[in-house]
Amino acid sequence: MSEPVLELDDVRVVFKRGRGHTVTAMDGISFRIAAGETLGLVGESGSGKTTTGAVALGLRRPTSGTVRFLGAAQGRRRPRGARAGAVQAVLQNPHWSLNPRLAVADSVAEPLAAVEAGRLRTHHPAALRILDQVGLPASFAQRLPHELSGGQRQRVAIARALITRPSFIVFDEAVSALDVSVQAHILNLIHDLQTEHRFAALFISHDLAAVRYLAHRVAVMRTGQIVELADAHRFYTAPRHPYSRQLLETL
Amino acid sequence: MKATAVRVRRALAMRSGDGLLRGAVWVLLALVLATLVGQLTGAGGRPDAIVGPRLQPPGSGWLLGTDNLGRSLLPRLLQGIGTTLLLSTLAVACTAVISTALGVVAGYRGGRTAELILRIGDVLYSFPAIVLAVLVAAVLGPGRTTALAAIVLVTVPLMTRMVGVAARAVARREFVTAARISGVSAPTIMLRHILPNVAGTVAVQGTYALSVGILVEGGLSFLGYGVQLPDASLGLLIQEGGLYMVGAPWLIVAPGVVLVAAIMAINLVGDSLRDRFEPRETRSLV
Ligand SMILES: Nc1ncnc2c1ncn2[C@@H]1O[C@H](COP(=O)(O)OP(=O)(O)O)[C@@H](O)[C@H]1O
Ligand SMILES: [Mg+2]
Repeated sequence: MSEPVLELDDVRVVFKRGRGHTVTAMDGISFRIAAGETLGLVGESGSGKTTTGAVALGLRRPTSGTVRFLGAAQGRRRPRGARAGAVQAVLQNPHWSLNPRLAVADSVAEPLAAVEAGRLRTHHPAALRILDQVGLPASFAQRLPHELSGGQRQRVAIARALITRPSFIVFDEAVSALDVSVQAHILNLIHDLQTEHRFAALFISHDLAAVRYLAHRVAVMRTGQIVELADAHRFYTAPRHPYSRQLLETL
Repeated sequence: MKATAVRVRRALAMRSGDGLLRGAVWVLLALVLATLVGQLTGAGGRPDAIVGPRLQPPGSGWLLGTDNLGRSLLPRLLQGIGTTLLLSTLAVACTAVISTALGVVAGYRGGRTAELILRIGDVLYSFPAIVLAVLVAAVLGPGRTTALAAIVLVTVPLMTRMVGVAARAVARREFVTAARISGVSAPTIMLRHILPNVAGTVAVQGTYALSVGILVEGGLSFLGYGVQLPDASLGLLIQEGGLYMVGAPWLIVAPGVVLVAAIMAINLVGDSLRDRFEPRETRSLV
């Protein structure tokens, strides 16, 4: 396998909850994701999935352990700036994934403007091209988010994530709030785009069916720990950990 | 642009459906128009001209009566409304700028910055408005500047807090996180993402601040620390009228009615703006 895009090594994140009370959201988490690969991260609410995504994106500094992105360890200072454009995210709530006051083309152009400078408007042509790739014609460019359906909004969010050609994308419950039929379309879209753009993906979901559709490998999280990390095919046919079996039974 | 136009039209359509609000807007428009016409055309006479005997009840030469010097009340009232509205509006514009800047920064930055901004606000807010206003007068001396500074100082803490809370909620939204991940700079995030999404709160709080501003001006001028004679303001006229309340009640009734009407109308406009921007809260009147 090629050099991993992202590598977490024994990462711990401890939150202070006042009066000496602490929560260990990540407890010795290690994994790597290669280019073109999707790691599915499943587990119930509160198990630490979103925290793992934030650490992977460089949004949160781990309490201990190392995070390597394209071979380089996360710097002590300003961890974000250096990765601008190289990592992106598609987040959960389709209602708030887009600024309600910005037209679609502006939202999609923004990450490119952040990396290459210039006004949003100058990046509209690139925005239109990427919108087309996620199945939205140019007529959507000047619409506001409230004029779109939940599925269309997540398409726009995906277009925004793709416009800088990132090498790594986190999908945090990106389809969980959508109808099942819409989910299928979006999952298909992500799959096709990954085949074309070869980004590494961390696909976070509490929904094992959605993960099954995309993930090459699956990690199961419980109370901050990964209890099983396996090839997707092996995981779905013969889960080893009792907790994995328990989760799969509800499928 | 098109979308904005559509939204404005929709807002106006809703507005015309709301009779109470329409009444309130008319009251405010009438006050502004009356003062403008009065000041520009001199209709109703000069405010400082002596037109008849002292303390006359309303009559043909003096529609709202005369004061203790024989001046007609009407032009003085128009002048007073103008002074009060202008002073309060100017002060609230300052408040809006200061509070929006502080609130957006506090809401987006969170942490110690927010702590500091809100703590200072809490200290100011814990003083009764009029005590704060008199303190300002003690430092700056009586006058228009004092009234202006006092209104700003009294209205800034609450508005900053409200804008800060709204900005905090917006800062937690997915699109702000996504912008941060994309490497968008903090100033750009505040201007592009936070500010437009707290504009509604700014409008609502600005309206409420305006009615507080009018009250503070009234209170200060009433106590003699605000607008000074021979100028007029609603507070000053009420103070003067109070001296002759028994013999010439019209002198206090006219400016009093205008003050109450203006404040009620402004609060109604504020309530309906709030209904539009924060639909979950129920309205306080009706
Ligand atoms: N900013 C934070 N401060 C304190 N505790 C947090 C914070 N973020 C997450 N946690 C806690 O860490 C744990 C894991 O949360 P999270 O990563 O959001 O889980 P998941 O995404 O799997 O639902 C939870 O117990 C949560 O309450
Ligand atoms: Mg989560």
